[in-house]
Amino acid sequence: MDLMTELKEIIGTERVSDSAAICQAYSYSCFLGMNWVRKPDVVVIAETPEQVSRILRLANHHKVPVTPRGAAGQGGHGGPLQGGILLDLTPMEKIILIDTENMKAVAEAGCSFFKLSQELFKHGLMLPTAEYGPGPNVAASAITPVNAFGKTRYGRNIDLVEGFEAVLPDGEIITVGSMAYADKDFGPFYRYITGPDLVGLFTQSNGAFGIVTKVAYRCLKRSPHWAFHSYYWPLSRIEEVKQTLLEGTALEMFDVHVNDKYKYAGLEYIKLLPPLPEDCHFIVYFTVNAETGEELSIKEKAVHDLAQKYGGKLLPGLAESFFAIWPTFFCPVSNPIASAISRVVLDVVKGNYMYIYDSLTYPTSWFPRVYQKLMEVGKKYDIWESPRFAVFDGFAMKSQVMCSQTWAFVDYNDEYWVGQIQKCRDEFREWFGERGGVFQSMLPPLTPDYTWTNQPGAHQLLRIIKRALDPNNILSPGSF
Amino acid sequence: MMDLSQAKLEDFRERLNLCLNCAACFYRGPIVPHNWRELPPPEWQAPSKKCPSFEYYRFRSHTALGRLTLAALVWRKDFPISDDLIKILYTCAGCNMCNEICQTFLPLHSILALREEVVERGIALPEPLPEMNAGIKEFHNIFGRKAKAKTPEKLPAEGEDMYFAGCYANYRLPKTATATIRVLKAAGINIASLGENERCCGFLARWSGNRAQAEKSARYNVEAMKKAGAKRVILSCAHGYHMWKNDYPRYVGQLPFEVIHVTELLAKLLEEGKIAFRHEINGKITYHDPCFLGRHGKVYEQPRKVLKSIPGLELVEMERCGKWSYCCGAGAKVILNCYPDFARAVAKERLREAQQAADTLVTACPVCFEHLKKTADQEAIRLKVRDLPTLAAEAMGIEW
Repeated sequence: MDLMTELKEIIGTERVSDSAAICQAYSYSCFLGMNWVRKPDVVVIAETPEQVSRILRLANHHKVPVTPRGAAGQGGHGGPLQGGILLDLTPMEKIILIDTENMKAVAEAGCSFFKLSQELFKHGLMLPTAEYGPGPNVAASAITPVNAFGKTRYGRNIDLVEGFEAVLPDGEIITVGSMAYADKDFGPFYRYITGPDLVGLFTQSNGAFGIVTKVAYRCLKRSPHWAFHSYYWPLSRIEEVKQTLLEGTALEMFDVHVNDKYKYAGLEYIKLLPPLPEDCHFIVYFTVNAETGEELSIKEKAVHDLAQKYGGKLLPGLAESFFAIWPTFFCPVSNPIASAISRVVLDVVKGNYMYIYDSLTYPTSWFPRVYQKLMEVGKKYDIWESPRFAVFDGFAMKSQVMCSQTWAFVDYNDEYWVGQIQKCRDEFREWFGERGGVFQSMLPPLTPDYTWTNQPGAHQLLRIIKRALDPNNILSPGSF
Repeated sequence: MMDLSQAKLEDFRERLNLCLNCAACFYRGPIVPHNWRELPPPEWQAPSKKCPSFEYYRFRSHTALGRLTLAALVWRKDFPISDDLIKILYTCAGCNMCNEICQTFLPLHSILALREEVVERGIALPEPLPEMNAGIKEFHNIFGRKAKAKTPEKLPAEGEDMYFAGCYANYRLPKTATATIRVLKAAGINIASLGENERCCGFLARWSGNRAQAEKSARYNVEAMKKAGAKRVILSCAHGYHMWKNDYPRYVGQLPFEVIHVTELLAKLLEEGKIAFRHEINGKITYHDPCFLGRHGKVYEQPRKVLKSIPGLELVEMERCGKWSYCCGAGAKVILNCYPDFARAVAKERLREAQQAADTLVTACPVCFEHLKKTADQEAIRLKVRDLPTLAAEAMGIEW
């Protein structure tokens, strides 16, 4: 029996397709442009872990690659590197558990962060993430970097993961972390079990060690009091910005975030925002939350004092009216701000956002040097200022780690500008990689051949584990 | 920005790669993220299930996002217009939910543009669209009937208030036309009709991608109405209303008369005290917003106002209502005719949703009405399905 017939026996004829048009619709990695096409040969829509298990056994038998994918929205990447079966997990979207008392949540792989967040909100909880779009899935966000959107001062989405249910390449369904004992009386209460932490084997794996089918997250209490403040600095005061980020993330608050002025170029252009002050280059935003109004006031004062200490000038209104709703901004739908920005993108630069880099991770103390290098290569390839507006978007985490993304506006169909971005990317990655910078995007254009060059020991061990678990190399081949 | 509703595929050149893949057009959960302080406002809280073709076929290709991607590839000449692409393209229900959500990129327009590209290249359309388009061209109705349109009531051929019944009310649902005419007459309106000279509005041609035929229909009908002295054209059909109101002006320029749906007119007549509902209709009733009257036409309040004015009637809403209403499955008549299983599945879902809320479903489009009624009967779903004009006639004690 051939593969298609067997797949249809497992899933049903309506949920398996090798139609070229259907496969093509799964072939893009958003923000990376249309030149990064990796088309699957077959798309299979799975609804249960048992179906996933049977598909993996079959794929192993036929030695066919399998790559998982969710809705992959809001700039998230996802898709096969080497054809084969694309396992669409979007129907697996149930919320399995919300444990209000222990502040834990479990959801199926395809459940969107938005759906889960909405449910948590009703229970007075929240996820300390900004990944609230309708597309990004709880599993996709854990097994790929998705993009930097998910990060807050609390960390990245994967820092919130406590357990997985996953299907190994041989079809065995396993549970790790808090999911290892999720069916017992205590419920999924803690990531660390007796022995080594196995959750990490699946995070950022691009599905290479197993297909995640359920994820357990830890949650926060949703604070009743919130405040938003932003301050700005000129380019020449980049060291002070660094100090503000280092000390800001050490304070107890929800989020500290930094952008350069290019993020607002479009808004200024359409007069949605008044022009930024002439000496404004960096803007740091603080999102402060608290249980009481009094606590909030104290935190707000601490933020203000910190910004003052390093010469930051208050930029009133920006954080409150814009950054406070920034997840909304990135979802270009009914929101007038988002629509306006998109119109600007269209009218001014005749193109779309295209990543130069996503999820570059480095010590916050290196922020000035990383930024200056990005600026240097951006200028060299003429994408730094108008009309390409390479934008720096930095997420400062409390572990004193910075994660940033940089994009520019180009028409994907314009080979010259796509080429310029690629050259900029190539030059920067050499510099960044040599210094130990971590590339967390494991899909094109940073496929692992380069991603791993500065961490050979870890890569070697992962390859050994990969060979042991997946001797036929069927799961997301090309990732390791 | 340019008006994209009539744009050709080439006009989307710059827009086709603008989609941010946010998945809001089809995936679960409200459409717009919130801040950390509050839940999204109701206008951003789209229902969990939004896109009928995604819910039925489940592949990413069968979403606005997927179709937009494929449109881009066709434009770039990176992908042929193959049979499977045609099926993906024509299984879009045209319900406008994606445009309601994604007001920046308006993906439905690119789907229509790609359909026009299919027709321009002379590629075969899904069955029975070729036959139906031929019927429109030759016999001026979508059913391919040789008999000319016949308004059930004898009406003058000229007048200021012209009733345009449309193919469904003319050929399949004469009671809808009768009730509408009698209610309007009772309001003192000197209603007239093109009668035998009424021709298909061209809606199906437009949604097949056959713009030339749609424009031809528009030119004929507008000229005929001008000659008849129309100051107001009154429509029963939501699809026809959309054509007359939104597409005709783009084809032939500004219309010298008002275009109004019968529900808008009834609400106006009630307000002016020209009609009154004196007969009780008891029961719990829910209103299904036809996509082409609601999301495409932005007529939400008037039909509800009419229903609320009927004594004894309790109007309740389904979970998905107003701008977030779900398609009935007729899918711009394309789904109904080309993919009947899909059409039936969507109708079943909508009827079950109505069943949760009420004992009667009322709608204001003959196409939606017939499809929902037929499906309820076929599937033995215990729910009464009514169309609004006959309900209004009954509440006025008018026989129809």
